[in-house]
Order: sequence, then C-alpha cells, then structure tokens
Amino acid sequence: MRNIVVTGASRGIGLGVARKLSASGFHVIAIARTSGAELEAATAEANTNGIGQISFYEQDLSRIDMLSETAHALRKRFGLIYGIINNAGLGTSGLLCNMPETEIECLTQLNIVSPLVLTKHLLRSMLVARSGRIVNISSIVAITGYQGISAYSATKAAMLGFTRSLAREVGSLGITVNAVLPGFVDTEMTLDLDEAARRKITNRNALRRPTMIDDVASMVDYLVSDHAQGITGTAMVVDAGTTA
Amino acid sequence: MAMRDTIIEMMTNIAQQQRKPLAPLQDDLNLLSSGLDSLCIAILVAELDEEFGIDPLSSTDDHNLPVTVGDFIRLYENAMQ
Ligand SMILES: NC(=O)c1ccc[n+]([C@@H]2O[C@H](COP(=O)([O-])OP(=O)(O)OC[C@H]3O[C@@H](n4cnc5c(N)ncnc54)[C@H](OP(=O)(O)O)[C@@H]3O)[C@@H](O)[C@H]2O)c1
Repeated sequence: MRNIVVTGASRGIGLGVARKLSASGFHVIAIARTSGAELEAATAEANTNGIGQISFYEQDLSRIDMLSETAHALRKRFGLIYGIINNAGLGTSGLLCNMPETEIECLTQLNIVSPLVLTKHLLRSMLVARSGRIVNISSIVAITGYQGISAYSATKAAMLGFTRSLAREVGSLGITVNAVLPGFVDTEMTLDLDEAARRKITNRNALRRPTMIDDVASMVDYLVSDHAQGITGTAMVVDAGTTA
Repeated sequence: MAMRDTIIEMMTNIAQQQRKPLAPLQDDLNLLSSGLDSLCIAILVAELDEEFGIDPLSSTDDHNLPVTVGDFIRLYENAMQ
C-alpha cells in the first residue's frame, strides 16, 4: 500500500482528502497537532472498509526545527513515502495595516516555510523510488484579490511558484508537483464569514453552489493517481466557478 | 560490498538512468566534472541514506559538497566507522 502524507488532516479539507485517499487504497499518514473525533471516525471507517488505511501522526508543523526528525520517523515507522499533500495552513484574516508582525510571521512559517522544509525531507523517499506525488493546497486568492487577506494570499501565491519550479527540478524522476486552488469552502478556517457574505460568494459562483470539501478532495485524488502521471507544474482551480 | 564499490556502482547506475555521460571515476576526479549533476548527487545521497542509514552531509555544519570523488567516498567511509 502506498504511503501518502496529508498535513492538517484532522478536520476540514485535509480530513476530506484523507478520507478520499484511503478509500482509493492509500495508506494515509494524517498529520496535525491533535487528532479529534472526526479523524478517529474516518480512521475506523477506513479500517472497516479494508481498502486503504489512515494513521495519525502528531506534530506541530510550525516547529521547523523538528521536521527533519519527523520525516525520518515517518520513514522508519511506515516505509518509503509515495507522496505528500501540503494542506495544513493558517487562515488569519485582517487588514494588513492592522496586522501584528508576529501574525504575519506565523502565517508565513506554517503556510510557506513548513511545507517547503517538510517536502525537502520527504522527497528523499521519492528520489529513491524514482516516483512520487506532491500536491500543494493553494487558494484562488493566489490569483484573484479578496480584501482583508493580503498576507494570507501572499502565502498561497508562494505555493504556486514553489509548485512550478519544483516540478521542473524533479520531473525527470517521474515525480509530479501540482497545486490545487480551492474557492471558498465551509470549514473552521472560514468561520468568521457571516451568512450574507457566504450567500454572496455562492450566488457569484457559476454553479450557484458553494465549493464542497469533496470537490477539492476529488481533484487531489486524481492528481495522486496513476491517471495523472502526465500532469505536473499545474494550478488546478476547484471553485464551483467563482473565478469563471 | 565495500562502501567504495557501493558508491561507484550507485553513481554508475544513476548516471545511466539520468542519461548523463560519466567520466572514469577516479579518486582525484572533481565531483562536478564527473558528469553527475546536483540532482544525481541528491539521488545518490538519498540512496546511501536508505542503504546505510547515514547522511554525513546533513550532519556537518559545512554544507559544501566534498570536492572530489575520493573525498565523497572517504566522508561515507568515515561516517560508517
Ligand atoms: N476553507 C477555505 O475556504 C479554503 C479555501 C482555499 C484554500 N484553503 C486552504 O486549504 C487548507 C486547509 O484549510 P481548511 O479550511 O481545511 O482549514 P481548517 O479547517 O482550519 O483545518 C486546518 C488543519 O490544519 C491543521 N493545523 C493547523 N495548524 C497546524 C500546525 N501548526 N501543525 C500541524 N497542523 C496544523 C489543523 O489541525 P490542528 O489544529 O489539530 O493542528 C487542521 O487539521 C489550507 O491550506 C487553506 O489555506 C482553504
């Protein structure tokens, strides 16, 4: 069974991705600071279905100094790592002029530095196997503006540059690197949006419905599958037509 | 197999797979002139870590690559002791 790391898999989009990939036959290594009832239920479900599997690995991913050790521990415990879904992220909002520097630092640390360093270490397995999959969860705000999230948007845009250049670095080894850009999805990250704002976003969507976690998970599932072996360096928008 | 032979064999295989023409691997050959590019070296380091569980390059504070093929082999031979 192929091992695939999903960061931030305890809830929201990451949990949806973990569910989907385990149903596709992967052994998902779900990383977050805390597990929680939802992930435990998904783990039990995966074990009952017997197709794939989910294992929880507790790690604060903002601890950059720990990530090399984490990668070694994962390799030792689970074997070679086939792929990584860089999904964990902070969604701190606020006008840039009011945002404390420490918050900007926390955002860049978890949303940029952490996925870069973790990928660097997990790439080892993929270099050895001469194959692998890397999917970076960016956002449509990397390519379109939205007020009150300029710092966050900068971190999501960073994932696009990372994706394209890394795709060129490791492409000759059959390792693909792609980004997924979800539109607004109802999760804990977007709790502070009120009902009117949600309705406005949905009404603007070409499909007149919100982007669902499952829409995003399905795209990730495709990108890590063998069907997507010819796709790398791309930015896949999954937004129910927000940016159409 | 001795560390030296393992490394030479890995270098040869990686060069072949990555379609890089490889110069005759002698101890005084500069690594950068061997034909292996930085990705090939990264694969080599990953494979050696996989095979022997050591990564002497990451544990030194000096992140400069060893200069010659001989330097590289000695670094790994010393790390195994
Ligand atoms: N929701 C949206 O509308 C939307 C739109 C576009 C893109 N995205 C992107 O999608 C990704 C997931 O977003 P989401 O909405 O699912 O977020 P979420 O519901 O807030 O979930 C975030 C996940 O990341 C984990 N996490 C947070 N800080 C962590 C840390 N320091 N170390 C390890 N894990 C950490 C959380 O677990 P713990 O708290 O237990 O650690 C949780 O599992 C993010 O990259 C986000 O930028 C979201």
